[in-house]
Amino acid sequence: MAFTLLVNNIQYAVDVEPDTPLLWVLRDSIGLTGTKYGCGIGQCGACTVLMNGTAVRSCSLTVSRAMGTPVTTIEGLSPDGSHPVQLAWKEFDAPQCGYCQSGMILATVALLQKTPKPTDADIDAQITNACRCGTYHRIRQAIHRAAQMRA
Amino acid sequence: MSSHTDKPATTRASDGTFDIDRRQFLTTTAVVGGGMVLGFWMPSRKAEAAIIPADLHTRPEPWYRDGQVPEINAWLTIGPDDTVTIRIGQVDLGTGVMTTNAMMVAEELQCDWTKVRSEYASANRDVKEKAPAWTIKVPGGGNAHDPAGGGKPDQVGGPETDTGVYRRMGVGSSGNVRESRFYLQLAGAEARERLLLAAATEWKVPVSELVAKNSVITHARSKRQINYGAIASKAAQIQLPDPSRIRMKPPDTWTLMGTEQPNRDVPVKVTGQAKYAVDILMPGMLYAAVKCCPVWGGDARSYNFDAVRNMPGVQSVVRLPLDKSGRAKEVLGRTTKDGFYSGGVAIIADTWWHAHKALEAMPIEWDRGPGGSATTASIFGEHLAKLKAPGKVIVNEGNVDTAMGNGARIIEATYSVPYVRRGRMEPGNATVLVSDNRVDIWVGDQQPQRTLQNAAMLTGIAPPNVYLHMCYLGGGYGSSGNGPQAEHAVYIANTVRGRPVKMMWTREEDWGVGTTFSPLHIGKCRAAVDANGWPVAMEIDYVQTVGVAWPADSRGLAMPPYWVPHYRLNQHIATCHIPPGRVRSTGARPNAFYLETFIDELAHAAGKDPYQYRRELIARNPPENMQDRFMGTGVGGFRYRDDWLRALDMVAKMSDWGKKLPEGWAQGIAIDDRRRGVGRGGGRQGTICAQVHTVEVTRRGQVRVHRSDVVFDTGFSLINPLTVRKNIEGQIAWGISDALYQEVNVKDGAMVECNFDTYPVIRMNEYPKEINVQWLKTNKWIEGAGEEAIPCVTPAIYNAVFKITGKRIREVPLKNHDLSWGAQTA
Repeated sequence: MAFTLLVNNIQYAVDVEPDTPLLWVLRDSIGLTGTKYGCGIGQCGACTVLMNGTAVRSCSLTVSRAMGTPVTTIEGLSPDGSHPVQLAWKEFDAPQCGYCQSGMILATVALLQKTPKPTDADIDAQITNACRCGTYHRIRQAIHRAAQMRA
Repeated sequence: MSSHTDKPATTRASDGTFDIDRRQFLTTTAVVGGGMVLGFWMPSRKAEAAIIPADLHTRPEPWYRDGQVPEINAWLTIGPDDTVTIRIGQVDLGTGVMTTNAMMVAEELQCDWTKVRSEYASANRDVKEKAPAWTIKVPGGGNAHDPAGGGKPDQVGGPETDTGVYRRMGVGSSGNVRESRFYLQLAGAEARERLLLAAATEWKVPVSELVAKNSVITHARSKRQINYGAIASKAAQIQLPDPSRIRMKPPDTWTLMGTEQPNRDVPVKVTGQAKYAVDILMPGMLYAAVKCCPVWGGDARSYNFDAVRNMPGVQSVVRLPLDKSGRAKEVLGRTTKDGFYSGGVAIIADTWWHAHKALEAMPIEWDRGPGGSATTASIFGEHLAKLKAPGKVIVNEGNVDTAMGNGARIIEATYSVPYVRRGRMEPGNATVLVSDNRVDIWVGDQQPQRTLQNAAMLTGIAPPNVYLHMCYLGGGYGSSGNGPQAEHAVYIANTVRGRPVKMMWTREEDWGVGTTFSPLHIGKCRAAVDANGWPVAMEIDYVQTVGVAWPADSRGLAMPPYWVPHYRLNQHIATCHIPPGRVRSTGARPNAFYLETFIDELAHAAGKDPYQYRRELIARNPPENMQDRFMGTGVGGFRYRDDWLRALDMVAKMSDWGKKLPEGWAQGIAIDDRRRGVGRGGGRQGTICAQVHTVEVTRRGQVRVHRSDVVFDTGFSLINPLTVRKNIEGQIAWGISDALYQEVNVKDGAMVECNFDTYPVIRMNEYPKEINVQWLKTNKWIEGAGEEAIPCVTPAIYNAVFKITGKRIREVPLKNHDLSWGAQTA
């Protein structure tokens, strides 16, 4: 079945079954592999992308539900890693293995759009992604720094 | 095609959108077929060189490429613009190896650090080329106390077995720096000396008059200078007359090592560009999903492929055998090294989602094998029975039986820890292309050398024709961390030679039989204390499963840091169908939990402060200069007494130990060196870590760690303190997840908690808001830094929980216990 998706401002036509999770369409059909598979049940957040600016877990969202809504993946944030959240991430040397970081970064972008000056409590409530390396300390600092940079 | 990983071909459709018709695309490539595929995925070297972004110190694709510029030795090339490319033989698990190992080479090379790039070394080259003689001997002869030496590597699979040029490429046991520092420093020094010799020859001056600094060689007397890039091709031709004279720079002369350097792979990890194995996409690639019997030693009895063969995209089925003989079992099951995985079935399809859906729908009947009826309770019961039966005496100091009768009272406690796994985020996967005379593997792998040999065995293609393209790796956390991911992929791809296949496990497959588990473990501690509460005799019994990959692990317990005149340690062995594996912190996870909780119990019984109680018992050990006569004898052979005391005092001071806290809050303390006394006469270098955690337990029993204070042993020096600091921050998260939540139960022989919903990793809201790390400088090379902060976390938190609630928790994790305390409000 053919679907049209708007991803990072490019329109793609893909031919997949309607129950295919958006994650696999992004990764395997379109080739945007920055979005990661971690759990397949919407728990870990490695697959986080933005839909209309809201963070969603693309492993648990079928492609049919993504039709007609602009999707932003890590690749669409900036061409060169210059988005304030990416800059802050580099400043604090946040990633370790890095596997969860695309999702973390997009969750942060969504948070800052809604809450430009987040408190620690805001961060606790809204950044629910898992990082097995345990980079939370640096991520928290980087979120505050990104908020500053955007201001 | 300009690179290995170019996206599948996309064509611009007439309406201006990109049209991707995968099935049509695959049909086209299938016609091209076979060996022809090689023709378009192999990159042009020139094109590869052109796409490297100038400002990146690691590429998005970190694997080895043949150098286009002069190679000085196997570890580095130098381009005409002075760019130094350092080949990293060891694997970066997110632990900063790409940066740290480059620092070790660059320090000695004395080059411009801003022009250094890192990429992985070639495991294939390692098969074909022997290690140079000058990399074999450890300077200082393995003396951990010689600052000018190479420390005390394990030399696990040392020169006798790791004869390849890059020596030990696998990473585990916190061993990257410990095992490789000496030859990486020597490699940088060898290259520097050759650059100097080439310049001296060119200028006809004595080499001793030349100075190398920041990629420039200077002859002060004649005011001549030459850049490394300009002399590199001559240096590549020249040989040192006597390479055995190369020396390592001791820490007091370092300028780069010992400084905080940002991790060089961070820029490609914040843009999504970093290629993990799971991200490899190739023209004509097929996908495979795998299901193995969820019980170790089990297998697929039957399956019905006909029921699913007409589902979308499905190509073929592959039996992953666990037959009674042959190489497939030996390698897929990894029976020789890591214990016993189970047999199963794979489906190959045009997309992973199609393969996965078909496999989910395919009827499979399992033969659950001899372990098929085991439960957590049955395994625990069997362990407990073994614990009560006579064990093997590991340490026996003084006369425990007599002394036990001489105390004022006996204190006894039994503790346990559950099965846990590494729980990496990237699921097991690899992409493999087998042709008739060559195997290519894209993988994130902690043991590349072993994987290469296994691929050769599975395909019958000689090791020199097996190529590993090392990708970034989504979490490591233990030396047997990969499971048989590459082996599954090779076995499957070998059935469709000429087509690349990406094999990927689901999260549940990866966390089920795709990994090994740190085993369930029970320990019983018993002490006789005198009227003042000081121990006069102590006996510890512990029971665990053993396996090839994890022998009985008495580290820590064989040599308690607390002075007890009479001490005995007894080991009991249980058997279980679940093979024990190595998870970050290995045996110290149970052992430090027992000892550091029990010592707290003794302090409480004595009515003494747990910090001061520990301090006094450590101080009672014989001083360092009297230790030779105790060496290797368990109690009394304990080393580094004064360093331990410093660590304890530092952590008490930095945490403001004993300060007034709000109601429901308390501090808990622990100290450990997970390496001490592992059957090597106690002479190992060790890494001391002391911690205080400030914990809150609400009256309803909810636990929160607010602050963590950590003292960590740096020895003479760390290589990159930033990387170690980050690693420690992560280890605290690891420890809190262990302490609060993590356990894997067994039902019908299979692991129950196999995804993030049932095996939680702490999140942002549960990480301490304040974490402080202070360095303890000691006179030795430390053992490692990848897991040494983990063992203290659980006992320190539990000790704080006890202070708040009066409840002494002896069974990990906390989620299974009611921690409510005091009067409950509504």
